[in-house]
Amino acid sequence: MAAKRALIMHPKDNVATTVEELQPGDQVRTAGGGEVHSLAAVEAIPFGFKIALEAIPQGAVIVKYGETIGKAGRPIAKGALVHIHNLEGTRARGDLERREKR
Amino acid sequence: MSFLGYPRPDGTVGTRNYVLVIPQGLIAKSIGDFVAGVRTIQTVDHGSGRTANDRERIARVLIGLGRNPNVASVIVHAASPGVGYPELKAERLADEIAASGKKVEVIDPVKDGGVYGAIAKGMQLARMMVYEASKLRRVEVEDKHLCLGVKCGYSDTTSGIAGNPAIGYLFDKVVGAGGIAFFGETTEIIGAEHSLAKRAANPQVAKAILDAVAYREAAAKSTGLDIRTINPIPANIKGGLSSLEEKSLGAIHKAGTSPIQGVLQYGERPKGKGLYFVDCWMGSYSIFAGYAAAGANLVMFQLGGGGLTGRELMEGSPSIVAPFLWCTANPKTYQMAKDNIDFYSGSVIMDGEDPQEAGERLYRTVIDIASGTLSRSETLLHTDPIDLCLEEPRF
Repeated sequence: MAAKRALIMHPKDNVATTVEELQPGDQVRTAGGGEVHSLAAVEAIPFGFKIALEAIPQGAVIVKYGETIGKAGRPIAKGALVHIHNLEGTRARGDLERREKR
Repeated sequence: MSFLGYPRPDGTVGTRNYVLVIPQGLIAKSIGDFVAGVRTIQTVDHGSGRTANDRERIARVLIGLGRNPNVASVIVHAASPGVGYPELKAERLADEIAASGKKVEVIDPVKDGGVYGAIAKGMQLARMMVYEASKLRRVEVEDKHLCLGVKCGYSDTTSGIAGNPAIGYLFDKVVGAGGIAFFGETTEIIGAEHSLAKRAANPQVAKAILDAVAYREAAAKSTGLDIRTINPIPANIKGGLSSLEEKSLGAIHKAGTSPIQGVLQYGERPKGKGLYFVDCWMGSYSIFAGYAAAGANLVMFQLGGGGLTGRELMEGSPSIVAPFLWCTANPKTYQMAKDNIDFYSGSVIMDGEDPQEAGERLYRTVIDIASGTLSRSETLLHTDPIDLCLEEPRF
C-alpha cells in the first residue's frame, strides 16, 4: 500500500499535519518543509490532525510553522496523535495563573 | 489588473451602489422594507448606558458605514431627538458623512410629523436617492482602489495550510498595487505577535501590536480560565487545532507578508494605504461591520469548517454594505456547503495545486465580484443582526 501523506510546514517542526485519515500501522511519508520523514502511525489520526515526527518528552516544546504551539503534557511517541490530550497551550492560560497565585 | 467600480467624490471607489439608512430602528427598517437598494444596520446596541468611549465606537461605525465607498447617499434619522447622547446626534453623524462629499439627508420624527411622518419622508427621500444612484455607471479603475477585510473562522488545520495563505497572497498583491487590506482578531494573534511585530512599518507600530496582545492576554488571564475552554472554540478543536498558539500561527497567514502600517481601533479609518491590523474581537457578526466602517469595499470569511457537521446555509452579510465572500480550503466543508462558497482552495492540499496559483484564482474571483458579480451570500435577502465590538462595561 502506498504511504499516506502528511504536510510539514517548516523544517524545524516536530509534528506534521495529516491530509489523509490514518489507521494504526499506516505508513506515512511527509511532504513540505525540510527532509522527508517516513514513519508509521501508532494510532488512528483523522484528516487535518497532527502526527508526532519523533518521540517528544514531557515538557518539550511542540513546533509547527517553525514556532512553538505548546508543550507536551505527557510523553508523546513517534507516530502518535498530537492534540489537546497531550499538547498544552502555554499562552493566555488564566487557569495556570490562578494556580501560581495560590 | 482593473475592476469596474463606482467612483465617489472623496476619491474612493465602490464595488456596490447602495443607499444607507442609519441608525438601526423602526424608521430605518421600515424604509428598507419598502425601498429597493436600501441597506440598514440591524443591531440592538444603540448606546444606552454605554460609556463615552463605547458611544464613540458606535458613532464611528455609523459614520464609517455612511462614508463607505459602496454607499452612494445616506439618510440619518434622529433616533432620540433632543434627548440622545451627544456622540450619536443625527446632525453630527450627518455632517461627518457629508464631509466625504456624499448626499446626506436627516429625518426627524419631531419635525417631520412623528414616526409615521418620518418614515413617509424617509421613503420619499430614499426612493429619489436610489433612483439617482442608479444613474451612476461602473467605470474601469485600478485594483489599488480595493479595500479588503478578512476574518478566518471555524478554523481548522486546512485554514493555516491552504485557506489563509491564499488570502495572504491576495493581500500582498492588492497592497503591492497600492490598495488597503485589514486583518484583526487580537486574541487570535496571541502566540504569533512576535512575527507580526517584526513586520511592523516602524517601532511604534511594533509596540502597538505587542501592546494590543498584552492587553488582551491579561484580560484573558484575569478570567482565571483555561483559554482553551473559550478559544480555540470547540469547532477549531474538532478540526484538529490544539492550542490558541497553533490557531494564531495559522491565522496570521491570511495577512500575507507586507509591512504592517498601523494598528487601528474597531471601525477606525486608516490614514494611508497598505496593510493594517485592527485591534478587535473575532466575532463574525461584528468584525465585518467594523471593516466596512473603516472603508472596506469587499470582505471575506475564510472558513475552515472541519469541525462542523452541517453548514448548508450561512450568515447573510454582516458587513452591511460590503460584498461578503465565503472561502474555504476544506474539501468536506466545500462539499457540504458548495452553493455558499465563493472560493475553494482545498485543491492545494488534495491535488497539489501551487499555492500561488490558488492565490491568483482568488484574486480573479475578487476582481469579478468587485466588478458586480454577486457573492453567494448576496443572492440571499436574509441579513443577520450584528453586535458591535464594544469594549467597556455598561451602566
